[in-house]
Amino acid sequence: MKKVVEGSHAVSEAVRLCRVQVISAYPITPQTHIVELLSEFCSDGSLNAKFLRVESEHSAMAALIGAASAGVRTFTATSSQGLALMHELLHWASGARLPIVMAEVNRALAPGWNIWTDQTDSLAQRDTGWIQLYCEDAQEALDTTIQAFRLAETVFLPVMVVLDAFFLSHTYEPVDIPDQADVDRFLPPFKPAFSLDTAHPAAFNQLSPPNVYMEMRRDLQDAMEAAPEVLEHIEGQFQSLFGRRYGALEAVQCDDAEIILVTSGTITSTCRLLVEKLRAQGEKVGLLKMRLFRPFPYEMLKRRVLRARKLAVVDRNFSFGACGIFAQEIRAALCNEPKRPLVFGYVAGLGGRDVTTDILEEIYWTTKTTAHPESESVWVGLQQPAPAA
Amino acid sequence: MTHAFVSQVSTPFIPRSTTTTESNKTGSWRFLQPRYDEKTAPCSAACPAGEDIARVEMLVAQGLFKEAWETILQENPFPGVCGRVCFHPCESVCNRGAFDEPIAIHTLERFVADTAMRYGLQPQRMALPPKSERCAVVGAGPSGLAAAYFLARLGYGCDVFEARSEPGGLLRWGIPPYRLPVPVLQWELEHLQALGVNIRCNHKITGGFLHGLKDRYAAVFLGCGHYKSPALGIAGEDLSGVEEGLPFLERVRSGDLPSLSGTVAVIGGGNTAVDVSRCALRLGAKVLMVYRRRRQDMPAFGHEIQMAVDEGVELMELWAPLSIEAHPDGFRLSLQKMEVVSEEGGRARVKPVPGETTAIVVQKIFKALGNTAEEPWLEPPGEIAPHILHLADTVVSRREDGLVVVYGGDLAARSKSVAHAIGSGKEAAMALDLYFRRGWDAIVEETARCRVGPGPSLSMEIYTGGDRCRRNPHVVAFEEINTDYFLYGPRIIQPRLLVEERLQGFSEIDLKVSAALAIREAERCFNCGVCNQCDNCRLYCPDVAVCRDTSPQGRHINLDYCKGCGVCVVECPRNAMSLVENETGGRP
Amino acid sequence: MIEVRFHGRGGQGTVVASILMAKAFFQAGYFVQSFPLFGVERRGAPVEAYLRLDTRKILIRTNVYTPDHVVVLDPTLLAAVDVTRGLKRGGWILVNASAMPEEPATFASFRLAVVDATRIALKHALGTRTHPIVNTAMTGAFARVLGEPPLEAVVHAIREEIPIKPQANIAAAQEAYEAVVFLRPSVAGGTPSLALADDSSAAS
Repeated sequence: MKKVVEGSHAVSEAVRLCRVQVISAYPITPQTHIVELLSEFCSDGSLNAKFLRVESEHSAMAALIGAASAGVRTFTATSSQGLALMHELLHWASGARLPIVMAEVNRALAPGWNIWTDQTDSLAQRDTGWIQLYCEDAQEALDTTIQAFRLAETVFLPVMVVLDAFFLSHTYEPVDIPDQADVDRFLPPFKPAFSLDTAHPAAFNQLSPPNVYMEMRRDLQDAMEAAPEVLEHIEGQFQSLFGRRYGALEAVQCDDAEIILVTSGTITSTCRLLVEKLRAQGEKVGLLKMRLFRPFPYEMLKRRVLRARKLAVVDRNFSFGACGIFAQEIRAALCNEPKRPLVFGYVAGLGGRDVTTDILEEIYWTTKTTAHPESESVWVGLQQPAPAA
Repeated sequence: MTHAFVSQVSTPFIPRSTTTTESNKTGSWRFLQPRYDEKTAPCSAACPAGEDIARVEMLVAQGLFKEAWETILQENPFPGVCGRVCFHPCESVCNRGAFDEPIAIHTLERFVADTAMRYGLQPQRMALPPKSERCAVVGAGPSGLAAAYFLARLGYGCDVFEARSEPGGLLRWGIPPYRLPVPVLQWELEHLQALGVNIRCNHKITGGFLHGLKDRYAAVFLGCGHYKSPALGIAGEDLSGVEEGLPFLERVRSGDLPSLSGTVAVIGGGNTAVDVSRCALRLGAKVLMVYRRRRQDMPAFGHEIQMAVDEGVELMELWAPLSIEAHPDGFRLSLQKMEVVSEEGGRARVKPVPGETTAIVVQKIFKALGNTAEEPWLEPPGEIAPHILHLADTVVSRREDGLVVVYGGDLAARSKSVAHAIGSGKEAAMALDLYFRRGWDAIVEETARCRVGPGPSLSMEIYTGGDRCRRNPHVVAFEEINTDYFLYGPRIIQPRLLVEERLQGFSEIDLKVSAALAIREAERCFNCGVCNQCDNCRLYCPDVAVCRDTSPQGRHINLDYCKGCGVCVVECPRNAMSLVENETGGRP
Repeated sequence: MIEVRFHGRGGQGTVVASILMAKAFFQAGYFVQSFPLFGVERRGAPVEAYLRLDTRKILIRTNVYTPDHVVVLDPTLLAAVDVTRGLKRGGWILVNASAMPEEPATFASFRLAVVDATRIALKHALGTRTHPIVNTAMTGAFARVLGEPPLEAVVHAIREEIPIKPQANIAAAQEAYEAVVFLRPSVAGGTPSLALADDSSAAS
């Protein structure tokens, strides 16, 4: 059924449809609306889940690690400082191979105190062993959340569903909310491969000396490497039930493109308009949407972009002392290719600054008219001189 | 679509044992071993009647009021009486006092008894099979009735001889109704009689009585109390109108309420003096309590003195009576000023201040100096001899003809209180049973085994082999309580009549408390040393070595896996567990 | 695509007004997008909310800079905020007011309508005299001013979105729909109607 819902609530609806059993969360803007609605679902009985209120995000994740270890389906949501506080336990969740799903609403890290969108919080967790999927709109947030449980429970890795603060989380738009029966068909009840069971006691997460640790890490990486293929398989089933498919990456008019704009999150949506406009003007421009960031889809990326001359990577994030993180990863993915496009890195929209079609257009024309990248990252839209705080 | 990935990732390689951890007998690491080791709460050790207070409060907190009542009845036939008149030494040693405020044990005892009375509960009969020996009890006061109660429970037939028209002794005749309404006593007496105790009133015993007893009785308990007031030894004390305190209280109890006016002097500082003062106040007099020492030296209970002062009794401390003379307005009472010479055990020694005297004119004088035995033959023998045992609250004497005479109650107890009298009766019953069943020589050793904590209070439950036998006599100290598990909370305030309401008559001063308040108060109790099934030991055991079972303890420790870390002992909030050296000598 | 900006104060239901209109237009067959001014909301402070509607999927996910119309829920804002900021020539300004005695000079190039939503809200016991809840009345009035969506769609949206006093809120919307006073129904060079079909092909 199509309804006008808030982006956050689209995620909540998905969690309800997935019949999650344990939810634990600590409120933080802009994530709060997701778990607020879930707590309403728990109290009105429309979701039969245990909602654990905890004193911090660290505890929220710890509680889910316990619950998931006992073999139930779990969910949490957080943002920014909350995610940073969870950091230690993010490693634990993946290392213990627990299929926890978390909605992560991108918010800038403080200081300066800022509640607006910025991907640095989630991208800073790239090495924690979590699968990361970035969403473009509310429908995709809902669909990705449903897919995330299936993916997590297949490869036994936790999944982060990432969405932009406000531009997605607080925006109302029409969303097709699937039928429960269809979701049940797509996502059967969680059957853990292992779980805490007092009838069959086993030691979990005990000392793992050098003679086994490395193999465990390799096993985790094997699961990561399998994830893109698994996602593709899952999306095939999803499409047959719901008629929608997103892919690890989406290439828009890339086949003959000389310049490909590479985006993630809601910027992608706005960028689609720009590509339409530039194509109408005869520009050979394409758009590559990065949905799956971890595992990084190296081969898929190469297949889509190697024919282009230039890539313009738009990063709403930054790794200090280096460059935009998507640009960094894409450069690394392409560096051994004998014939590869030049990678132009642009940083825009940090801390929630609006990335308008004008800014995206400026990025395109700068890329087109510059022969070679002048630096690792070009910051777009900076005010000169800098405004007073 | 191939499913290669499924086999690749369906069994993630995580740090998890592939065999059951049950094969790892962590118990082999153990050199210390926890065990359930219930201990003694300071309150119960301090209770002259040896009540299992920590357990009573635990049951109240669980709403198990009948069970709480029956637990008290194990040790004391008079919870309704003691919940009103006991001086509750339990509260002053309560470990909770070091945390915030002591548990209101006194109030809760009364609550439990009142609840049983309100619903007309009948206790589980705890009597043992009948025995052939029959016992006589002289005096139906608290000690005699307690002796009869415990003897009856142990299976002995008992005849209680009471000089007055109704049983109860001091409870009926000496304690005014504003402290103890008669129906409460009556109800508890009915339970006692239901056990088969035969009370013969209007049956005064004389010295010759003991001689003819051997044919009918194997033993006699003398609990006639101290009713004889000693002389002041001053001129004029025999003047008509100078009255004894106890007979006055008896008159008040019988409903003969003289109208008093003007000033009344009460000479003495014991509980009788306080009760006489407060009764006189209610009958219309202005009351002066004249005492030769200081207020803090008075033998009366401090809270009773305080209530008397609140009601308007005036204390004249450090004044000793010199003489009494008739006076047109009543009497002229001459007084000698005293001063403190020294203190012994907190009590002042005093001597007259030369030349400092005064005289007051009063309309009436009551002497309430404390009492002694009415007849010399009622005094227990003082000598040390093989046929005489001086126990804590009794003196047991075996006559040549085989009759055993036990002196109890005020005649022999450490202290003159209702609770001590009850303890004395219990000690007598236990000593007699031991004598009949195990012989004279078993008495001292076996009663020692049944003391609560270090004693001298005794437990009948321990004597009869109840669960309380498992208690370690170690008295739990405050430092041994894990106070992390307790929240600060105010002590219940005993609701009382206002002073103006009290003075209008003899209505009971202390009012009832609600069950909700009683439960809240009982929940404050640490339950020192007593397992209340909180299950912390099981929840915290890192080896899941604490297993539930159907034993009285409710759980046991699986020594195959207990590695002796002691977490259970530390997390026991109430020191009901102990860590001991491996009972199996290192390797199980 | 049409963009609408709602002006109100924190606590007046401004964001809900934009959501109601989004739901009503969605009911009427449009693609919609509604969002508040992203920030830290405080009661009484000027707030804004936005509405986009189109006959195709709305791809743009940026702030609204050049609205086609504005709705002002609180007339006292006119002195504090330039409600015409970025407003396209000929766009509607709908103000909650009984009349417009001193029209700001900046209003000259826009169409202007008023509705006494405060009176209507109080009549239907919505909010208090100091804090009337005017958002549902304003949605009814706005549907009248634009000629779309049909009043039934607004009623439908209120029923779906407003759990408290739905009947009174619906009645307020219906009354406000009838009570709009068109002070300047047209301006030279202004857009005469919704005209969604005309600019749906243009990319922002």
